[in-house]
Amino acid sequence: MSLISAPRRDVAWIGRFSALLRYAVLIGVGLLMLYPLFWMVAASFKPNHEIFGSAGLWPQEPTMDGVVKGWRTGTEYSFATYLLNSFAFIMPKVLLTVVSSVLVAYGFARFRMPGKQLWFALMVATILLPKSVLLIPQYLMFREFGWLDTYLPLYVPCAFATDGFFVFMVVQFLRGIPPDMEEAAVIDGCNSLQVLWHVVVPVIMPAIISVALFQFMWSLNDFLYPLIYLSSVGKYPVALALKMAIDVTEATAWNQVLAMSTIALLPSLIVFFLAQKYFVEGITSGSVKG
Amino acid sequence: MYDNRVSGYLYIAPFLIGLATFTLFPFLASFLLSFSDYQLQDPVEQARFLGLGNYTQMAGDDTFHGSLGVTFLYVFITVPLKLAFALFIAFVLNFKLRGIGFFRTAYYVPSILGGSVAIAVLWRYVFAGDGLINQVLVWAGGEPLNWLGEPAYALFTVVLLRLWQFGSAMVVFLAGLQNIPTDLYEAATIDGAGKAHIFFTITLPLLTPVIFFNFIMQIVQAFQEFNGPYIITGGGPLKSTYLLPLMIYEEAFKYFNVGYAAALSWALFLIIALFTIIAFASAKYWVFYGNEREDGE
Amino acid sequence: MASKADIAEGATTDKSRGGGVAKGRVLLRGVTKCFGAVDVIKGVDLEIAPGELTVFVGPSGCGKSTLLRLVSGLELPTGGSIIIGDRDVTLVHPSERGIAMVFQSYALYPHMSVAENMGFGLKIAGLPKPLIKEKVAKAAEILQLTPLLDRKPRALSGGQRQRVAIGRCIVREPEVFLFDEPLSNLDAALRGQMRVEIARLHAKLGATMIYVTHDQVEAMTLATRIVVLNAGRIEQIGAPIELYRHPANLFVAGFIGSPAMNFMDGIVEAVETDGVSVRLNGATLRLPRHDAAVKPGAKVTVGIRPEHFRVGPTPTDMDHDQAVEFDAIIDLVERLGGETLAHLRMPSLSDGVLVVKISGDVPLRIGTGLRVGVRLAQCHLFDADGRAVGEPAARAVVAA
Repeated sequence: MSLISAPRRDVAWIGRFSALLRYAVLIGVGLLMLYPLFWMVAASFKPNHEIFGSAGLWPQEPTMDGVVKGWRTGTEYSFATYLLNSFAFIMPKVLLTVVSSVLVAYGFARFRMPGKQLWFALMVATILLPKSVLLIPQYLMFREFGWLDTYLPLYVPCAFATDGFFVFMVVQFLRGIPPDMEEAAVIDGCNSLQVLWHVVVPVIMPAIISVALFQFMWSLNDFLYPLIYLSSVGKYPVALALKMAIDVTEATAWNQVLAMSTIALLPSLIVFFLAQKYFVEGITSGSVKG
Repeated sequence: MYDNRVSGYLYIAPFLIGLATFTLFPFLASFLLSFSDYQLQDPVEQARFLGLGNYTQMAGDDTFHGSLGVTFLYVFITVPLKLAFALFIAFVLNFKLRGIGFFRTAYYVPSILGGSVAIAVLWRYVFAGDGLINQVLVWAGGEPLNWLGEPAYALFTVVLLRLWQFGSAMVVFLAGLQNIPTDLYEAATIDGAGKAHIFFTITLPLLTPVIFFNFIMQIVQAFQEFNGPYIITGGGPLKSTYLLPLMIYEEAFKYFNVGYAAALSWALFLIIALFTIIAFASAKYWVFYGNEREDGE
Repeated sequence: MASKADIAEGATTDKSRGGGVAKGRVLLRGVTKCFGAVDVIKGVDLEIAPGELTVFVGPSGCGKSTLLRLVSGLELPTGGSIIIGDRDVTLVHPSERGIAMVFQSYALYPHMSVAENMGFGLKIAGLPKPLIKEKVAKAAEILQLTPLLDRKPRALSGGQRQRVAIGRCIVREPEVFLFDEPLSNLDAALRGQMRVEIARLHAKLGATMIYVTHDQVEAMTLATRIVVLNAGRIEQIGAPIELYRHPANLFVAGFIGSPAMNFMDGIVEAVETDGVSVRLNGATLRLPRHDAAVKPGAKVTVGIRPEHFRVGPTPTDMDHDQAVEFDAIIDLVERLGGETLAHLRMPSLSDGVLVVKISGDVPLRIGTGLRVGVRLAQCHLFDADGRAVGEPAARAVVAA
């Protein structure tokens, strides 16, 4: 008995040690990574002199001064306007992206047609195509349309499945689903659009949510496109407003700027924590299953 | 599945229209523009054909050469480091530990937020003269550094912003690791293979498709980085963080040299295309696709 | 095997009998299907009579599922025509063919309750809600699903899901039920149980059913008629016992029956009006055959089923003219309990090892010798192309 159990205790000890080492690495790296974020949130509630003074988190003289003034932004509009502006083009963008990506992905994943592979390859190629090579002609084109200083250039292209990544994501998800249910629906009398609506959409709902969430996040973060298309401050989304507010207030009011940054990140953070499993599923479905 | 070609094409019609209007047409237009002297403020009709003028200008443009050098430096530092770090953390996470979900989420947060203006702003404060990093340095007994004012350090801060977002690549690696059937490890252990041996003969080969995917995505994204340098450093100091996308933007929308900017964008496109083609061509030598499944009946 | 001419004739006589009679009949005429350059179905002619339970059986890749999908309309044929009842449905939408289908994976809609799953087809067809409810309730009654109507598929066991899939078909009141390997996702015990349920359902509804399986036991137990498919062609059509007793060729002989038939190579020595003498490895067998179309010197294959050997003293009812005995050495013994599979070396018949099925209580030791009897009337004979040779003498008896 002792001959057998002795090495076993050894193994258990090594296992525990390795687990401990792993936790140490994970916690250490995690703290290093997240500390700047905590510091930012904490600094929003500190007076300015305290931010310069220490790297600690807890405010010694907590104040809402930064948050309140940050919300007012020091421009003619408050942060509420910029948040609403962001949503004004992000909502149609998300909706159009979801609808067009699902339609196109359904076409690619479930229909036999000549030339399909060429189109699919082109779609994957657009994922790899650098945006800056399209930026200038797109700008000129939208200028011809008279769309400058409107939100149209920001979301109209999404109605045409221009984000190949999302189409690819849904196609990969659909490929993992046996077509039996859809065939059963065909026998039940559905045409292809009814199959899509009654069967495919409910079944691929996780993928649809992933697409919507990613598009939401990326659009909130997007800076370059609003930068070139929007010129009136009253139409600025959060990203532009933040950059502008910094140019105005940076030198003096650290707590205001950091408070604004914190507020700007809140929508993303809330959405992420509410729906984090869809992010993980979404990002992995495009890569691992393929 | 369905034989109906017409409805198949109806479903992908939005994509085909979008491809023609918002991708292929601009793609060719920028190619044509790159041979012109077109200025942003002029009507398009005034564009004159310059021949290879913009490209010969590029050959003698020190700013372009500098930008190209910085871009390559940036990509060659960030991509391997980010992938290696993401793989390492994924490997650490890929065990039956309690709280894995928590760590995965924590590490993923920066990837979600990292591209935003807010984080770029935060970065300026973290690396400012009396910002977070320098405060920690002084507390630890070191000298504060001029992170954003010194060319060598400025690129480092931009690089670090990208490395900070390793979470998305890590999540993909983690999913890839969890996809490897455990009986392979068990079989290898019974065959007497050690841990390192198992990692190099089983884990790594089976992970190559995921590595390949991450590698391509990271290369393509790194070559297009814009927000970080634009907001944190504005491309400076001394153009030490003047990445190509930033230069393209400024040429077109600050100096209005659209023709030249288009030529620069085509240079960037060709560089990315070259890397992608090399990656795809080399894939058959190092990417291992196991049980390949054909779409079929 | 039915020829094209036979079926064409049959079709005209059916038509002359009028429409009502043909309800539930399925007719395939010269049906072909190619996927790209691959011919999956290479010309199939088949008539299925109303009320029959026809089983398509064959090895994987033989085209049986494709053939079923052609009948369902989920695939369209490359050539030929498909008739259900009196209508040519070759190009008709699956929902309008009067068919319903049970899928291998059940294919239940995961987001709908059992009742919604069963009523979905009627809802799409625009039937009023009370009527749908009534029809669903009736079908649920038949399948004992009534207490489960509000559940989602993920809360059901495999057998229950299977019943819901069948219920979805019943609700549609189709002319023809199609089953695509419906039991292959169930464990062995449940499979046996569901097999009985399907047989009972067929008896109760009296509807035409087409059932695809790769499992020849399922085929034998369920079918009114079996269609054996191989490489996109029909090898033989017939009642289960007919296929078992009189396989038309080597493929069917080897496929139907478990364990598989033993095959021995031989050469024809003499052909007479009522028999063929075949020289095997060591012995010569004289097999009773009428009108055998082989010539002396031709290469043939003799087939004997494992259960048609007899071990021990020749029973008195065995006519010595029709039975012969050989020496055998026991190579391997597989005991199944009630019966035993003995792998024997019988040099007079073959170089290889022959499998013999005998009663479980016979003592057997590896390496020892054994006398094994063969009843000549139960031997099968195939020519060099694999076709069954001549009219077996025993056929008359079976037919009578």
